[in-house]
Amino acid sequence: MRKWAWLLVLALAACQPKHGEPLQAKVRFVPEHPTVGKAEVCIEVDPRVEYTRMTVVGDMTHPGMIPVKAEAHPAGPGLWRVDAFDFNMRGDWVLTITAYDASGKKYTKEVRLTVP
Amino acid sequence: MRTFDLLRAPLLGRFLRWRYSRFVLQLPLLLVAFLALYDGFFGRQLAPKNFATVSVWLHYRGFLVLAIAVFGNLFCAACPMMLVRGPTRFAKRFLPQFRWPRRLRNKYFVIALTVLYLFAYEYWDLWASPWLTAWLIVGYFGVAFLVDAFFPEGTFCKYVCPLGNFNFTLSTVSPTQITARDPARCLTCEGKYCVNGRVETAAGRKTAREAGPAEGIRYPGCETRLYVPEIKTNMDCTLCLNCLRACPYDNVALRPRFPGLEWLRARYRLDVVWLGVLLFFAGFMNALGMVPAYYRIAEGLSRLLGTRNEAVLLLVIYALWIGLGAGLTLLVATLADRLSGVRQTAWKAVRYWGTGFFPLAFAMWAGHYAFHFLTGWATIVPVTQQALANLGLPVGEPDWTLAALVPENWLYPLQVGILYLGLLASSYVLFGRARQRDHFLAGGVVFAYFFMLVALALWVLAQPMEMRGTLLLPPGSR
Repeated sequence: MRKWAWLLVLALAACQPKHGEPLQAKVRFVPEHPTVGKAEVCIEVDPRVEYTRMTVVGDMTHPGMIPVKAEAHPAGPGLWRVDAFDFNMRGDWVLTITAYDASGKKYTKEVRLTVP
Repeated sequence: MRTFDLLRAPLLGRFLRWRYSRFVLQLPLLLVAFLALYDGFFGRQLAPKNFATVSVWLHYRGFLVLAIAVFGNLFCAACPMMLVRGPTRFAKRFLPQFRWPRRLRNKYFVIALTVLYLFAYEYWDLWASPWLTAWLIVGYFGVAFLVDAFFPEGTFCKYVCPLGNFNFTLSTVSPTQITARDPARCLTCEGKYCVNGRVETAAGRKTAREAGPAEGIRYPGCETRLYVPEIKTNMDCTLCLNCLRACPYDNVALRPRFPGLEWLRARYRLDVVWLGVLLFFAGFMNALGMVPAYYRIAEGLSRLLGTRNEAVLLLVIYALWIGLGAGLTLLVATLADRLSGVRQTAWKAVRYWGTGFFPLAFAMWAGHYAFHFLTGWATIVPVTQQALANLGLPVGEPDWTLAALVPENWLYPLQVGILYLGLLASSYVLFGRARQRDHFLAGGVVFAYFFMLVALALWVLAQPMEMRGTLLLPPGSR
């Protein structure tokens, strides 16, 4: 019985959709410690990798909250930026940065911060 | 002329009377629990995007207060944890059986467990962790199994389960209640089958105890030992409807009622009243834990005590708030007693006046849960899609912009409305009790105390939200 249960778990886990590769990036904010309101999000990536698109999705850690989505734009070699990311509530935020390269391959990075 | 009986309503009545109706209600919640476990353990560990956290902390709690307000304790009726009953009946054949200790046959143990649970909720941020939420579900099923395997059926629901007792207490506001269709019929009932269970054997009808292991068709009685004609409150009623099936005289009804009569007529035990008081103050604390004032209090306390240990700070905040609530309640109830010329112990005074906390506790939780449920109700759609997609099912791309049921600017007025309704219901109890003593002012004193609590609660609900897992900010981040 247990064997079958494990097989089922493995089979179901095998069906999981593929998540992106890890994105090697440094993320900083202007101001350095964002407060409620708009803040700039700067994403520094390896300039040798050519990314075609980058999105930033902000989720709060409480269930039921609507995510904040923003499209980053290239702002120099290896630098992408969201000019006014809307931290619309105080609390713990999880930013998911998703980048796509020219072949459509997906890379993701998660950044956690607290907005006081 | 008796009132309408829901058990005789055309479709609903037929369903509720059906032998497998409880199982049909339990099955969807069991599937939800399985999916929550799967996503909680294997899905993305991000609370707003995980089925475990969204279903448990948003929808379960939201639907629960809604069901209690419009119907009754449906979530105990549909509790999937009671499906451990099959395995425990088998296990009972091999395991020693114990009686639940007499000292614990009250709500004080549940009160302690509820405080422990609320502490764990805040300290480990259960709402923010799909993984811990999944473990909570496992733990709940595990404890239900263990208690049910070693102790008489119903022990878990009545004396252990904090969630069940939360439902019991809040369902004192419900508009329905189990009652005897004809109480006179119960006077001549030879076996009190609704509480003792019924076994139809070849040798005739017997109670479960009389029949022992004899062969026959078995209809279990009330697991929480409620005798139908004596039921005056929804407290301890899981709406399992065992009583309905066990009664050979078809004498059980589920009737609409005005809950205010229960608050005025039922004589709750002191432990039950304290549970109601605790639920109000805990509900307040639960809401306060999401606003900046709470974090400022924590920062101040941290400086005062010279510690940044969150467990210590949380314990102190909880002890102070609940202690203050209990102390003030004792004081105000005693004052009201003295004003009405009654000299009795402070405990008896709380037992008399504390009943007013039941509608207020419901309003506090309903106001808070309504906010979360209404702001994020549609998030169940994308999280379910994602969880099912993780299982390999083709369910389409989740739309994460789905969220609110009502415009955001409706939420606070709605919460105000719920709390004022709670206060109105409480004032009915308080002034009703004051009238029984022919002393209006005594009720006024307790009402003033309740009014102050509601004003404080409204102030908390009006604050901007701060959804933070850490009590204290790291130094230098502000």
